[in-house]
Amino acid sequence: MFSLSEKGVKKFPNVAKMFDWLSMCTYCSNCGQFYEYGKERNFAAVNCPSGDYFKFSVYNGSRSRNTLLKGLLSGRISLDDEAAKILFSCTLCGACQQMCETDVKDWILYIEEAARADVQRNSVGVPEGIQTWSKHIPLEHNPYIEKHSERLNWIPKSIRSSLPKKAEYVYFVGCTASYRQKNIALATIELLRKLNVDFTIVQDEWCCGSPLLRTGQFDRAKETALHNINVIGKHGDKIITTCAGCYRSLEKDYKKESPEGYKDLFETSFDMPVIHTIEVLDKAVKKGEVTFREDPRWAHKRVTYHDSCHIGRHCGIYEQPRDVLRAMPIIFVEMERNRQWSFCCGAGGGIRGGMPEYSLETAMKRNQEAIGIKAEIMTSVCPFCYRNFSDAAKKWDMPLGVWDIIEIANETMIVDKR
Amino acid sequence: MSDAIKKRGSDEIYNKLKEIVGEEYCSNKESDLFHYSIDLTWYTPSMPDYVVAPLDVSEIQKIVRLANLTHTPIIPYCTGTNIGGLCIPEEGGIILDFRRMNRIIRIDTETEYTIIEPGVTHAQLSAALKEVGFESSWGVHPAPTSHLAMTVNHGIGHLSGRFGVNSQFISGMEVVLPTGEVAKIGSCAYSDSWHSLYPLPMLSGLFIGWLGTTGIVTKLGIWIHKIRPFNDVYSIAAEDMESISSYMKRWSDYQLCDDNTAVSWWLAQIPIPYPYIEKPKDDPEWFAYTVVTGWSEDEISFKRKIWEKSRDTAIKEDNAKLVDFEYPSEAKRGRTELPSRIVGSTKNYAKSCGGGIAWPGTFTPLKNWPMLYKEWKKIYIKHNLSPAVRVTNYWGPHYGMFRAMTPFDKRDPNSVNKAKAAMSEAIKVGQKYGMIPYKPPVDYWNILNEHADQGWIMLLTRVKDMLDPNHIMNPGKLGVR
Repeated sequence: MFSLSEKGVKKFPNVAKMFDWLSMCTYCSNCGQFYEYGKERNFAAVNCPSGDYFKFSVYNGSRSRNTLLKGLLSGRISLDDEAAKILFSCTLCGACQQMCETDVKDWILYIEEAARADVQRNSVGVPEGIQTWSKHIPLEHNPYIEKHSERLNWIPKSIRSSLPKKAEYVYFVGCTASYRQKNIALATIELLRKLNVDFTIVQDEWCCGSPLLRTGQFDRAKETALHNINVIGKHGDKIITTCAGCYRSLEKDYKKESPEGYKDLFETSFDMPVIHTIEVLDKAVKKGEVTFREDPRWAHKRVTYHDSCHIGRHCGIYEQPRDVLRAMPIIFVEMERNRQWSFCCGAGGGIRGGMPEYSLETAMKRNQEAIGIKAEIMTSVCPFCYRNFSDAAKKWDMPLGVWDIIEIANETMIVDKR
Repeated sequence: MSDAIKKRGSDEIYNKLKEIVGEEYCSNKESDLFHYSIDLTWYTPSMPDYVVAPLDVSEIQKIVRLANLTHTPIIPYCTGTNIGGLCIPEEGGIILDFRRMNRIIRIDTETEYTIIEPGVTHAQLSAALKEVGFESSWGVHPAPTSHLAMTVNHGIGHLSGRFGVNSQFISGMEVVLPTGEVAKIGSCAYSDSWHSLYPLPMLSGLFIGWLGTTGIVTKLGIWIHKIRPFNDVYSIAAEDMESISSYMKRWSDYQLCDDNTAVSWWLAQIPIPYPYIEKPKDDPEWFAYTVVTGWSEDEISFKRKIWEKSRDTAIKEDNAKLVDFEYPSEAKRGRTELPSRIVGSTKNYAKSCGGGIAWPGTFTPLKNWPMLYKEWKKIYIKHNLSPAVRVTNYWGPHYGMFRAMTPFDKRDPNSVNKAKAAMSEAIKVGQKYGMIPYKPPVDYWNILNEHADQGWIMLLTRVKDMLDPNHIMNPGKLGVR
C-alpha cells in the first residue's frame, strides 16, 4: 500500500531514509488534540496551530503530514505547491509529538525537517518569505536582512569596552535580541553583571542556525554551526543565552545524538555546557541571593507565563521560569494550556517569515487565552515569542503587556551581596 | 520554480462549492485530498474529488442539493478512524469534513442528555461532562475522534456492559436527508426538549448503523450518566476460552458491571506480537477484567461478593480453570478514568509493525465463543498472525464483542494481503456462529450478503433507494448500492 516508489525516493531521498519510522504512524488521530484524563477532571484543547488556522484535517497534527509524505513517497501523489505549503505550514512546536503514542513519536519533527530539506532540493513551493531570509543568512549571518557589522550595535559603549576576551560564559545573544528585541539583550547583560556572572560576548557570533534547521536547510545550518562552535570555544567554557530558539539549537541540535537518517543531514560534535539565563536566575533566587522589589509596572498584577516550545516541550524546562515568577511580588496565573500542553506562539518553524498572517493570528489566539484568565501581562523567556505576542497585541489592540521575565527581573531584583 | 497544483473534479462543481462554504473551506487540490483517501485499514487509497468544511446545516443542505443535481457522492468525515474504511470514497465525490461543526450545544443535567455536533470529540465532550459530574460511554479509541459518529454507528464504550451499545443512548437527532431536507427525530420534533426517542415510531433507525449512507446526522441528543464515585476492577485469568466464557456468562447474568471483558494472551501483550509467536506454556491464555461502579463502598463490596460467587460457581459447576492475576495499576486507571489515553492508543496494536490495523468481528453470541475462537486461532496461526482476540459482554449476556485486532505492515503488500485474507476467512467462519460484523468494510458486507435473508436485502435496498434516490450518500458502503 505504501511501499517506496522510485519516483518518491528520487524526490524525497531524506524522508525515504526515515521511511520505516514514518510508516509507524497509524493514522489514529491522537496527535490532533491535547487530551489528558484524571480522577477529578479531563482536559481537552486545541493543540495544532496549523490545524486551527487552516480548516482541513490535512493541516491538523502530524498524522496529516505523515499521510501526505506516505502519498508522496509511494508515488500516489506528486509534489506541488500545495503539498509544499502543507509541509511548510507546521510550526514544529511538537504538540502533536506530545500526544503521539506510536513509534513515530520521537521522529516526528526530524521527519518534518527532512521533508522540508527535500522540498528545498526540489525548489517547489518554498514560501517566499523563507526564501528571502534564507538567502541573507549566508551573507550577513542573520535572517532579519540586517548587516552583520551592526550586530553588536545594541551594546552600550561602556560595557562593550569592558567585555573580557575570555570568560567563563559566552553570552550567545541570538539574532532576534541583537536586531529586534534589544531590550532583552540589554536586560540580560545588566542582569548577568548584577549577578556577577563572568561572561563575554563574541564579536563574530552568527545566527545559531535555528531558522535554517527548522526549514530544512542543513548545509547552511552546518556552516553557521561550525563557525559558532569555533568562535565560542576561543572565548569561553560555557554558553549562556536568553533565547529559547538558540538554547534549543545549541543544547540539542549542535549536540544531537542524531538518529540514523537525520545524522546525514546535520551532525556536529559539540559538548560545551549550555544554560538559559532563567536557570542562572532561578538558582540565585533559590539560594536566597536575589529578591524582587515592587514596581508599579508589574507589582500585584496578574502575570502568566507562556512555555516557548523550544525550551519547554523540546528541552523540558518548565519549572524554573515559574519559580522565578512566583518569587516576584506579582499574581502568577496559569493558562489552561501550560507546560507540555502549551499552545505555540506561531513564530517557529519558519512561519513568522514564511506565513506571517497565520503566524500573527496564532499569537493573537494565545494572547486571547491569557486575557481569558484575566492576565494583564504575558511573559516568556524567548525573544521570538515575545516579538510575536507583542506584534499581535499591537495589531489587535489587545489589553496585554508583553515582557520577558529577564526584563522584569533585571528591573526589580535586589541582590544580596553577602 | 513552481509546480502547477494538481486538482481533481470539475471546475464547475468546485466553484459552486466555493460559493456555498467560501474558498478557504473548500479544496479540490490533490495534496489536500489525499488525506481522505486512506485510514488505518488495508484499504487501497481511493481519492475524493473535493473536500469542504461546512459551518452549519444550511451549508450542508446546499451541498446536498448540488450533489443531487450533479450526481456527486457525499462522504461524511469526522476523523476517519473507524477501522472499516467507512470514510474512504468508493466512487470519488465530496468529503464533508466536520472540523468546524464541533459545538456542544447543550448539556441538560436535569433530564441528563447532551446535544452535540459531528465534530465534537470524545476528549472535548468528556472534559465538558466531567466538569458537571457526568459521562458518556467512552470507547476504545483515540480521544480526538467523533462521539457522534461513534454513537450513530453502534459504537461501544465503557458502559456497554451496563447499558449496551452507545446507539441505545440516543435521545434525538437532526438529520439532513440525502435530498436536502432537514428532519428532527424524537421529542425534539415536537418541542425543544431532546430527551427521548420514545414513544414515537423509531425513525432514528433509518440513520443508526447505516454508516452514513442514508443521511447526515448534524445534531445528536445522547443520554448522559452521572459519574459514580466508587469503582473497582476485578480480574481473573483462565487457561482456555471455555473457562473464561463460562465465568463471563455467570457474572454478566447479574448485570452488575459496567464492563466485562477478556483478552487473549496475544492481545494482552503491548504491542501485539507481529508476526505470530507462541505463548509461553505456563501463561494463561485469557485475561479478564470487569469494572464495577457504585454510589457507596457498600455497593462495591456487595458487587465484589456477587462477583466472587459467580466466579466460584463457574469453577464448581462448569469446571472452569480460573487463576488469579493482578490487573496492572496503570491499566486499572485507564479503565476507570475514561476516556483514557492508554486504552485509546494504537500503540497497543500497531507499535513497530508498519502502521496497519484492522479487525474482523464483532457481535457474536457468547455460547459460540469457544468454537469460534478455536477456528480463528487456526486461521490466524496459519497466516502467521497473532490471535489477538477480545471478548466483551454487552447489556448482560445478550450480545457481545468477539473480535481479533490484526496488525499488519502497510509497507509490504504480502503482509497486507495475508492480514486481509485472514480477516476475510474469519468473517466467513464467523457467520456459522452468528457473528455480525461491526462497522464492516465493503469486503465484509460482500461476504455477509451472500448468505443473507433476501427479504432483508430487499428491504435494506428499498429504504436506501427511498431516502437516497440519486445514490449520493457514501455509495457502495452497504454492499447493496
